[in-house]
Amino acid sequence: MNFGLILFFLVKGLEISAPIAFAALGAVFSERSGVVNIALEGIMIVTSFTIVWASLALNSIWMGLFFAVIAGMLIALIHAVVSVTFKVDQIVSGVAINILAFGLARFLSQKVFGQETQTPTNPHLFPQLLGINSMAFVLIPIAIIAWFVLYRTVFGLRLRTVGENPEAGDTLGLNVLGLRYAGVIISGAMCGFSAATLFPSQWISGMTAGRGYIALAAMIFGRWDPIGAILASLLFGYADTFRIMFETKIPIPSQFVQMFPYILAVVVLAGMVGKARAPAADGKPYEKGED
Amino acid sequence: MPVIKFKFNKYKLLELFAPVAGFIASIIVLLIIVIAVGESPGKSLVAIYKFSLSSSAKVATILSMSIPLFFAGIAVAFAFQSGVFNIGVEGQYYFGGLVGAMAGIYLHLPAFIHIPVVVLFSMLGGALWALIPAILKVTKNVHEVITTIMFNSIALAFVNYLVNGPLSGLGKGKSLEPQTAKIQSTALFGKLNGAFRFLGWNVPDYVYLDYSLIVAIIIGFLVWFVLFRMRYGFEIRAVGTSLDVSKYAGIKVKRVQLAAFILSGALGGLIGLQEIFAIRGYYTYSIASGLGFDGIAIALIGKNSPLGVVFAAVLFAFLKQAGYGLQFYTAVPNSVIYVITGLMILFIVVINEVVAAYIRALRKKEAV
Amino acid sequence: MSETLLSMRKITKRFPGVLANDEISFDLFKGEIHALVGENGAGKTTLMKILYGLYSPDSGEIYIKGKRITIKNPKEAINGGIGMVHQHFMLVPPFTVLENIIIGEETKKFGLLDESLPAEKIKALMEKNGLIVDLNSRVEDVPVGLQQRVEILKILYRGAEILVFDEPTAVLTPQEVEDLFKTFRQLISQGKGIVFISHKLDEVLEIADRITVIRKGRVIKTLNRDEATKSLIAELMVGKPVLLEVSRPDVKEGPAVLEVKYLSLQDYRKVNILTDVSFTVHAGEIYGIAGVEGNGQTELVEVIAEAAPILHGDILLNGESITNWDVRQRREAGISHIPEDRHRYGLLLPFSLAENLTLGMHHKEPFVNRFQIINKNKIREHAKAVIEKFDIRTPSELTTALALSGGNQQKVIVARELSTEPKLLLAAQPTRGVDIGATEFIHNQLMIAKKEGRAVLLVSADLDEVMSLSDRIGVMFKGRIIKEFEREKTTKEEIGFYMMGEKEHAGN
Repeated sequence: MNFGLILFFLVKGLEISAPIAFAALGAVFSERSGVVNIALEGIMIVTSFTIVWASLALNSIWMGLFFAVIAGMLIALIHAVVSVTFKVDQIVSGVAINILAFGLARFLSQKVFGQETQTPTNPHLFPQLLGINSMAFVLIPIAIIAWFVLYRTVFGLRLRTVGENPEAGDTLGLNVLGLRYAGVIISGAMCGFSAATLFPSQWISGMTAGRGYIALAAMIFGRWDPIGAILASLLFGYADTFRIMFETKIPIPSQFVQMFPYILAVVVLAGMVGKARAPAADGKPYEKGED
Repeated sequence: MPVIKFKFNKYKLLELFAPVAGFIASIIVLLIIVIAVGESPGKSLVAIYKFSLSSSAKVATILSMSIPLFFAGIAVAFAFQSGVFNIGVEGQYYFGGLVGAMAGIYLHLPAFIHIPVVVLFSMLGGALWALIPAILKVTKNVHEVITTIMFNSIALAFVNYLVNGPLSGLGKGKSLEPQTAKIQSTALFGKLNGAFRFLGWNVPDYVYLDYSLIVAIIIGFLVWFVLFRMRYGFEIRAVGTSLDVSKYAGIKVKRVQLAAFILSGALGGLIGLQEIFAIRGYYTYSIASGLGFDGIAIALIGKNSPLGVVFAAVLFAFLKQAGYGLQFYTAVPNSVIYVITGLMILFIVVINEVVAAYIRALRKKEAV
Repeated sequence: MSETLLSMRKITKRFPGVLANDEISFDLFKGEIHALVGENGAGKTTLMKILYGLYSPDSGEIYIKGKRITIKNPKEAINGGIGMVHQHFMLVPPFTVLENIIIGEETKKFGLLDESLPAEKIKALMEKNGLIVDLNSRVEDVPVGLQQRVEILKILYRGAEILVFDEPTAVLTPQEVEDLFKTFRQLISQGKGIVFISHKLDEVLEIADRITVIRKGRVIKTLNRDEATKSLIAELMVGKPVLLEVSRPDVKEGPAVLEVKYLSLQDYRKVNILTDVSFTVHAGEIYGIAGVEGNGQTELVEVIAEAAPILHGDILLNGESITNWDVRQRREAGISHIPEDRHRYGLLLPFSLAENLTLGMHHKEPFVNRFQIINKNKIREHAKAVIEKFDIRTPSELTTALALSGGNQQKVIVARELSTEPKLLLAAQPTRGVDIGATEFIHNQLMIAKKEGRAVLLVSADLDEVMSLSDRIGVMFKGRIIKEFEREKTTKEEIGFYMMGEKEHAGN
């Protein structure tokens, strides 16, 4: 194997990992604040449509990114309103949003482009770097920033507090619901970056292919930690890169190769047992006691 | 005593409020979307009417469509009752349908045995596909939501492989679509249309009111009986209400959840009956998709009760028809129905919470 | 007269169907300890939650140092100089002590979290008040008594002058209580005021300058310490004279029912929770376990009630080893269990009273037939009989458990567990969170159980309860029973020493 191929594999792997990694990073913020965000998949569907739509409409991929981030935040906001303010089961809310998002992207595609399952191609792309989408490299500074925000800032300390013991946060004067909104909305914004690295040149229905869920698995495997989540995402991303680059050379039916990332996710989760602890209040709506 | 009876009914009524209000709210949103895309609400309502209630044939179509939706809803609801969130119904019916079809293709039996056998094999397939996520949940505490979603994707790829590869029946058929061999006539589901006509309901021949309706009725009754009249059902509902209390009371919660999860998969396996055994007569991986997700909405709207699921399934069939009506007569794309479905779930659960808080307050007031 | 720090005037708070606070007036002077006593549900906690901004009052006024303020949230309470040590600690277990103290009151350096400046400030506070804790330990690794110090430091760090302590002694040994009271005196000498919520009348009489009694949401009376007596306060709390002593039937002890032998248990981190625990409970005997909470009592009861993977040891019921039995087998063999956390374990709230009263026996005839089909009539008949026998107030046996009052829900659990006619009754904190009336009911039921020749294992953090009910008492410390006493041959003080582990080695 030559050096060029190895370098290409390394760089390509980063590009393929990036959409999962951004979403997983977002999930860390949501879950550390106490909200399980299974709506990531749906948010990614909407952001990956929005980035193409806004780029085409405004002739700029940067505007596309901007609106994708906004769209991600808006869909995440629905999740926050339903699950934080109204205290609905977070998984039910997430599943409903995923159904809604699936329909919404198709509906908009039909109305805007006259085609339900795909958009025209988007000629406005991010600059290339080392032969890949340069946005993938943005992952590195964002990961570092995320780590600092979570562990070295006042906001991060407070966010983690409401994910562990919201009642304690409340008695210390923290705005529990506000912090949880922030956590969820950050996860939505990160899905905008996922869209930027997934396939900004066109939207096709179904192209997220469960990456939102895989991001959640990566976040769990990464033990609710930004760096851990990124490393786990890289595991999925590189496994997928290997599959794409060598699919034709592997002597097993392509459908089995396609199953690989999903099987990997299940195996990884099954192997995780008892090794990590979710934030204590993760998934639990906060209700002020009334007794 | 009569006073108590009245209170009981008041709460029951309040609990019905959320689904009804959620439905109405989502129809209002639908009309807003209709207006937003420049269509007239009146025309849209007419379009919906034309495709849903305008004739006995349309009504029969809705009934026909609600059969697989009922299976989807009851499958999700059954797991929900035990606190298991089975999002894997999608994969379970893909696989269950295939196993059932295999029994229909390769077993040689007289019809009166063959038909129950294919039903049981479909259930078996669905159960098998739920097995691994179920075991991982109870033994290793891996959250079923992620594993079942992964298993949906795996199922799709797996049946794709089987239908294109070892189980392909293309040589024998004429279609270019990858599919299995034909199911034997002894396993095919006949129609009940004649019986309905005899009873005075004019169901045209092209509508599928087939044996799967009978299966649905039997299954619905059995599920109700097990859940509300048998010890197992009591334990399932207890586990779904509180794991801690159930454990404390000596209920083997893991066993109960495992059983409920696998049985939920078995019920999910029935979703494909109508399409495979009544409509197509063979299996293909392009059978209708997304029904597993519809099942979640149906279970939530039906509040996980068998009767509620019946109503919710019919409602959903109506919505689907409404979507086709809109697509056909207006500029509103069919995909709007997914948006409405998602919104309807959100409305219902939100209103549920609000009503539950209200009921809590009422009950506190009446507490002795 | 000294300066008034806090004055609450005619506070009224209505919850659906309950008048929790009915024109309550309460004030606190500088340098005083003002005890607030009343039964559970009398409205003490509601009043303090209003003060702390967790609830908003329907009417009434709050003055701090003569200035009227409104407190809409805890932040405003903190800014007003109010600090509260809650009954259930408000700590984040995986965070360090330092982090726990500074949350919400952090200092920044270059936009980032600064820990050095707060550390200085906290160290000064620790020395001034004698509240030493290691700032860098994780709270989950710190013992309960020290966790309370963290809570106190938290409010001092915020400069609180009005300190509210909600049942602070429930988790402490008698000696730790003395330490806490020393801290109290230290704090009031600095000009702070303390509101001390308690139902332990001895402690109230020891430390409080004034005592305000509330009942059913109203202030009944405010007493000075010198005019208060235990029986007077108790009478004011309940509204009628109360018998503070339990009458104990004389029962001849029977054969051993429960034998626990060298039982050891580890948690998931392989830390010993129980170490070589051995004791025996006889028929007609109440065996009490005393100890500070968190020394393995909860786990001990669980391991007897439920199957848990133990490290080694044996549990025998009537001479037969039940160590490997599951919950159902144990229940069928005659073990009943009044669980510690009854909200969590006790009832299926959306289910009917009848169903709840058969829970645990629901799988047996006559409640199901041999085809496992439920016999609703039998369930109802059984429920009617139990409701009658235990005097549960409910409109009907078909009412959902949710619709019952807290006191009646407790009764349902006790009634169900006794209606199986158990050989062994496990009673874990049976009167926690229960008003005096219900406490009396539960104590009487335990005595009846004893009289009927049942073996009772009583675990309680309330040493008075253990002392007054038990025939023998085992003291638990760090997962061991370090000493066993005959009730007549010991004193509260002696047990207190063992609860702190001071005589750990001498005891063995």
